[in-house]
Amino acid sequence: MKTVTLDINQKTCVLEVRDSELLIETLRDRLGLLGTKYSCLEGDCGACTVLLDGNNVLSCLILTLEAEGRKITTIEGMSPGGELHPVQQAFIDAGAVQCGFCTPGMVLASKALLDKNSHPDKEDIVRALDGNLCRCTGYVRIVEAVTAAAKAMEKTS
Amino acid sequence: MAILKDFQYHAPESVDEALDLLRRSGKPVLLAGGTFVLNTLKKAVAYPTDVIALRKIKALQGIADTGEGISIGAMTLLSDIASSPLIRERASVLARAAACVATTPLRHMGTIGGNVASRFFWVDLPAALVAVGAKVEWAAGSGKKVLDIEKFLALKGPDAKGILVRFLIAEKHPVGEYFRHTQAMEVDLPLAALAFAARKQADGLKDVRLVVNTALSPVVRLKSVESLFENTKTSRLKEKEAAAALRRDLEGGKLDDYRLQCLCGDMEALVERLKRAKT
Repeated sequence: MKTVTLDINQKTCVLEVRDSELLIETLRDRLGLLGTKYSCLEGDCGACTVLLDGNNVLSCLILTLEAEGRKITTIEGMSPGGELHPVQQAFIDAGAVQCGFCTPGMVLASKALLDKNSHPDKEDIVRALDGNLCRCTGYVRIVEAVTAAAKAMEKTS
Repeated sequence: MAILKDFQYHAPESVDEALDLLRRSGKPVLLAGGTFVLNTLKKAVAYPTDVIALRKIKALQGIADTGEGISIGAMTLLSDIASSPLIRERASVLARAAACVATTPLRHMGTIGGNVASRFFWVDLPAALVAVGAKVEWAAGSGKKVLDIEKFLALKGPDAKGILVRFLIAEKHPVGEYFRHTQAMEVDLPLAALAFAARKQADGLKDVRLVVNTALSPVVRLKSVESLFENTKTSRLKEKEAAAALRRDLEGGKLDDYRLQCLCGDMEALVERLKRAKT
């Protein structure tokens, strides 16, 4: 066991963790951040996506100890104070959510894209979401939602 | 239930400290980006006693212009290689290959050192690194060495136990192309790939390097195609002639028809692109 200090959703957490503990286990099982989903556990599906220093990464492939000193953002950190992020609002407005299992990962991957590229074209969006699988929507409305979110974020900036 | 079995985690801050841990540990494994290693551990029968993480070692970080070329730390992320203006300008085939690896989140986690040191035949970067004539700085029990990437890739057994520090690319190869075929989706592992790098001058292509990855064996330099391209103006290159030279280079390699057809098609597409670019 080791003591680790994590910066999660702009809050500092000091925890005792096993050396072999994965970040997804810490987030869900210790901290109750259930928006990060257990799914393939092989890095294929993107359901366990979190942002690490602004990049979308897979929490099933990161040791908790490796996340020390880095900024971790989960879906719960997207709407501090309860106000939805423009990406979340766009997903609702476009009907880009069906069963919702992939949605936290999709939203975080979209945020990571839009923070770097405020005017993505369809190809940029498809490529940025290539690590996130959705078995309900067929992706069309997700791409529409990200396009709409980019426009909404441009208006508010 | 815990996903991974227990091991001892170490995060040394220097190459020497990491080498010392590597020597002292019972069954150690090095951890770079984790995308191969942690996935493997979920299914491993032979389990490590110690995981030695390399992320805190400063000597393994960053992309720099050394004045004599480019230095790329082994812990540099694939996404940073794909987007680096310096690498795009001087070793564009490497940036293109890095941009093709797996998916966006895996490129945000995977490192160039992990990709190459895995020594898997099916990874993307070795072909591109051979195409730009890269060297590697390699730290092992016997000391630090600089090796040609091809020599590094051929190391086996105890000789292959050490730490990849950085990649050095001395020559400029501003012209680069990377072709890649997968079984189903773009994000899949490559079945076959072709890496091309060269310099362009008024009297023709210089320092041409063409490398094939068949995902079945170590990468192969295409010497006949290289000599066909070297010092030749791109307007004089012929698609069919280049594809025939590729077949000669791969003769005896027992390559299946599918891969061979893919690579011949890539060769023709490469010649077409070079002609269009009016090099």
